[in-house]
Amino acid sequence: MKLYDVKLLTVTCEILAQKNVIDILSKHKITGYTSYEVEGNGARGLRGQGLKNEKNVKVEVIMQEEKLQDVVEEIARTLFTNFAIVLYVTNVGVLRTEKFV
Amino acid sequence: MDILELIQSNLLTPIVLFFLFGIIAARIKSDLKIPDAISEFLPIYLLAAIGLHGGIEMRNTGFEVMFLPMMVAIGMSLLFTLNHYQILRRLGKFNLFDSYALASTYGAVGAVTFSVGLSFIKNQGVTSEGYLAAILAVLEPVAFILAIFLTNMAVSKQIKTRKQSLGNLESMESDLEMGIKETKTNLKQVLHESITGKAIVILLGSIIIGYIIGEKGFESISIVFEDLFVGAIVIFLIEMGIIAGQRLDDIKKVGPFLIAFSIIMPTFNGVIGVLVASVLGLSLGGSVMFGLLLASASFIAAPAVLRHAIPQAKPSLYITSALGITFPFNIIVLLPIMFMVSTIIHDSATIDLFNYLSKD
Repeated sequence: MKLYDVKLLTVTCEILAQKNVIDILSKHKITGYTSYEVEGNGARGLRGQGLKNEKNVKVEVIMQEEKLQDVVEEIARTLFTNFAIVLYVTNVGVLRTEKFV
Repeated sequence: MDILELIQSNLLTPIVLFFLFGIIAARIKSDLKIPDAISEFLPIYLLAAIGLHGGIEMRNTGFEVMFLPMMVAIGMSLLFTLNHYQILRRLGKFNLFDSYALASTYGAVGAVTFSVGLSFIKNQGVTSEGYLAAILAVLEPVAFILAIFLTNMAVSKQIKTRKQSLGNLESMESDLEMGIKETKTNLKQVLHESITGKAIVILLGSIIIGYIIGEKGFESISIVFEDLFVGAIVIFLIEMGIIAGQRLDDIKKVGPFLIAFSIIMPTFNGVIGVLVASVLGLSLGGSVMFGLLLASASFIAAPAVLRHAIPQAKPSLYITSALGITFPFNIIVLLPIMFMVSTIIHDSATIDLFNYLSKD
């Protein structure tokens, strides 16, 4: 079984920044992602308690390396200053590369 | 009954006691928590109940009577938002973004506060005009739209002057256009989001349904939307108390100016609101609710709108002050004060005002 190398971008951010992240993804023609609500502690204090709007989400996207640079750059430029947000990239292997353009 | 007695007796109502209880539970670091699904459901339920009642009463009174109060409420909300901005920017020395965000938070209305107000005046044995629910719906996006519009204008103006001082005229055009374009898309988005947002949709939907079904049709559902109303507020206020309690430490961080602002401004706005409503001929209870609309600050809708439209503003400022200071102050102290003011006006001056108005 052959596994192909692609990148997994994981963005942990406040729930109100999720829309911005997904907008950036779709701008780069990436439509597939997985997101889930998470809790945690960080620079902006305990997150995930209380009001729904103050929860955190984790967005996971698999993409080819060529797109990664632009997407990460745009997220960093537009969202880092104003939102609670952390992102990181990992190498993952997938079976069907054509699913992740 | 004098004002202190009224505040005292208001303190001992289940709504306020459970709110204070929630604060204490949070302070002793209890793991008490209202499940997420319920605390998301309750605002929807409360708005549905408010809307139904409003709709049913509007069927009796008709639409024409609400036109003038609604226009006045919108005008006052806009005026107060501008006033808040000037105070925050000039006296409070907040930056542009925080000032506009706070100004609109305090210019906007709080649906939870409105529910508490309804049960407060019910407790005092008076009623309010049903069309106030419609005003609540219309007023919700008004202050935000103004603040976002002005913020975007200010930002594009800043870009323009910066370009001018650099003498770079060629790229000035495009940046200015970009600023204006951004304003347009931003406003369109905010308009769309707030009008299709769950609060306004459920409120307007229930008003229409209430209007259609009337009192007769309401009988079959009144066990849920009438009898459970105050109980539901109580459960929701436990959650509000817990969240406010968790934020108590943050209150020190917002600074003395904002603490004073979040107590003085609602009092000022609320009392003016009661006076204006009385002149407009609203009932005793209706004037209190009208005042409460103008006094209340938004803490559920505000972050959702402002985080997108003015992301530079610090949410810790506007959520903490609205939920941690203004909300408790409104439901514990200001409601009795406004009730007192409204009682005095309606007892003594109704006839005079009426004469004055009819001469006009």
